[in-house]
Amino acid sequence: MARSRTGFWLSVPVYAAVVALCVAPLLILLAYSFFQVSFVAVLKEPTLKNYVRIVGSDTYRWLILKAFGSGLMVAAITAVIGYPVAWFIAKRVVAAKSAFLTLLLVPLYTGDLVRIFAWRMLLGAEGVLNTFLMAFGAIREPIGALLFSSLATHIVLTYNYLPFMVLGLWLAFEALDDRLVEAAADLGAGAVSTFRRVTLPLTVPGLVAGSMMVFVMVVGDYLTPQLVGGASGITIISAINDLFGTAFDWPLGSAIAWTMLAILALAFAGAAIVINRSSLGKALAAGEA
Amino acid sequence: MIAADRAKDTSGQENRPLLQGIAVHKDYGGVHAVRGVDFRIAPNSYVTLLGPSGCGKTSLLRMIGGFEALSSGVLELDGQSLAGVPASKRPVNTVFQNYALFPHLSVQENVGFGLAYRRLSKGDMASRVEGALSQVQMTPMAKRRPRQLSGGQQQRVALARAIVNEPRLLLLDEPLSALDRRMRKDMQIELKDLQRRLGMTFLHVTHDQEEAFALSDEIIVMNNGRIEQQASPAEIYRRPASAYVADFIGGANLAPGTILGAVGEAAVIDTPLGRFECPAVAGLRDGDKAVLCIRPELLRLQAGEDGFEVVVTHTVFRGAEWLVEAKASGDITISLIVDDPEPPAVGSAVRLGFDPTRAWIVAASAGG
Repeated sequence: MARSRTGFWLSVPVYAAVVALCVAPLLILLAYSFFQVSFVAVLKEPTLKNYVRIVGSDTYRWLILKAFGSGLMVAAITAVIGYPVAWFIAKRVVAAKSAFLTLLLVPLYTGDLVRIFAWRMLLGAEGVLNTFLMAFGAIREPIGALLFSSLATHIVLTYNYLPFMVLGLWLAFEALDDRLVEAAADLGAGAVSTFRRVTLPLTVPGLVAGSMMVFVMVVGDYLTPQLVGGASGITIISAINDLFGTAFDWPLGSAIAWTMLAILALAFAGAAIVINRSSLGKALAAGEA
Repeated sequence: MIAADRAKDTSGQENRPLLQGIAVHKDYGGVHAVRGVDFRIAPNSYVTLLGPSGCGKTSLLRMIGGFEALSSGVLELDGQSLAGVPASKRPVNTVFQNYALFPHLSVQENVGFGLAYRRLSKGDMASRVEGALSQVQMTPMAKRRPRQLSGGQQQRVALARAIVNEPRLLLLDEPLSALDRRMRKDMQIELKDLQRRLGMTFLHVTHDQEEAFALSDEIIVMNNGRIEQQASPAEIYRRPASAYVADFIGGANLAPGTILGAVGEAAVIDTPLGRFECPAVAGLRDGDKAVLCIRPELLRLQAGEDGFEVVVTHTVFRGAEWLVEAKASGDITISLIVDDPEPPAVGSAVRLGFDPTRAWIVAASAGG
């Protein structure tokens, strides 16, 4: 009894930190989402009007859909690119492994803005890529759509968040015992079958972890679309930013934020249920991967 | 050349080996793991590859399994070269050292893994999986996951997963090394039984000579990438081909000396222990450097003037008997078994004798 009480008191700071830094702000945000604004005053009378407005607005619906669509797309692209890269670093590189991982992370040290402006120089009308293509005669006029477009946004987002996908997958590949691949071959499995029945199921946890990280970061990234997306650069996050800033409509901003949170939570819960029902989930529950 | 001739001689059905290696060589960027070895493995036999770690036995096994390519040489299974045949297409299955069971699959699914590549009906597959699991007494565990099994149980599942495919040859890579001593003894008996029951050929890699003796019809002793000897356990123990084999298997007392006269299957050898006439390996000539091997259990304490004198250095109680270590002239270490109630005192000098017809003379190795 005395011991468990000591344990309780020792854990108080942790709970306090979680409540103060995580739960409380979210609850305040939730409370605001039910308020209203009249000029510069916040009317603290609970109402659902903000949520009704979001559901009824084509713009907000479209922006929310676009954010999640971008998240899914970039997660998928980084997975396709990152999977072989992670496999290569984990299974084929021996001596220079830490060098490869460092190289992967170096761009992250330079900061978001530097990387984004570097891409503007690459993709711009007078940029490196257009100049190169014109010099080789592949095109006559610079491709304007390269920069300030949805394409540019997704290229830069993919570049920015690829390292996180690779790291997640790399860990999964490091944990994958090579002898399992040999065992599959020994039992008659060809390369494709080994991949489908052994390698892929055992690296799915890394794929899920990497995808979640990339997805969440892409959904939350409003700098990249704003700087290289041109007309397509408006995102739901920049809308929230505007509502809290210039528009001074905290309640609506809070309501959008909570709508996003709720959709995300539902999506993750759905994914968790699907994974738990699969054979992989059962293996994970038994503490194997 | 010689190996090829031998292969031709015995191409008749009766003596045709299941697996034959001709000058099999493996070179990992300048490190020679296996140095051009020849061997033959008879069908329906239990063969162990015995040697210390780093002797090349695992490399040899991996080449047979198809996980490593040969640097040179030929491996033939049923008279067909295995060159270019990937692991997945060889009628060979492996029980891996740490079992390598698929963690995301149940015991049943693990065992059925290889059957997916046969044209079998669902019912046939299920009954074969069941049959293999019952062979290793794992039927009640069919739905479990590998992580929920003990080491011994995982071992059985790994066995079932391999034998269910009815391979021509089953490779076992130190399969018992992760088990405790008791379990190891039980599994040895079971492995041997299983091999007899199935009429399959087992090739088992181990560094444990007791295990090799318990299991094998034949033992292949490897050292430093070469095969020192391939023979039955009794032959290897009684008539080792080299001083290395004599020492590695059963720890013989080795006395270096010179051949004074070689006559047929016997020779006279002059050693610091004295001059003895004993059976000898073929090919020794007068004046050759050679080694006299005397098993510890052959040596007897004796009172007479015969034999040789040693000074006792250690005595170790082993329950039924005493293990006595002693030094003979020429700084030769001698160990012997004494089953008297009390051993000779440490530091005392005693005379030892032995039956020379049961000792054995081998050529001295090139290095020594």
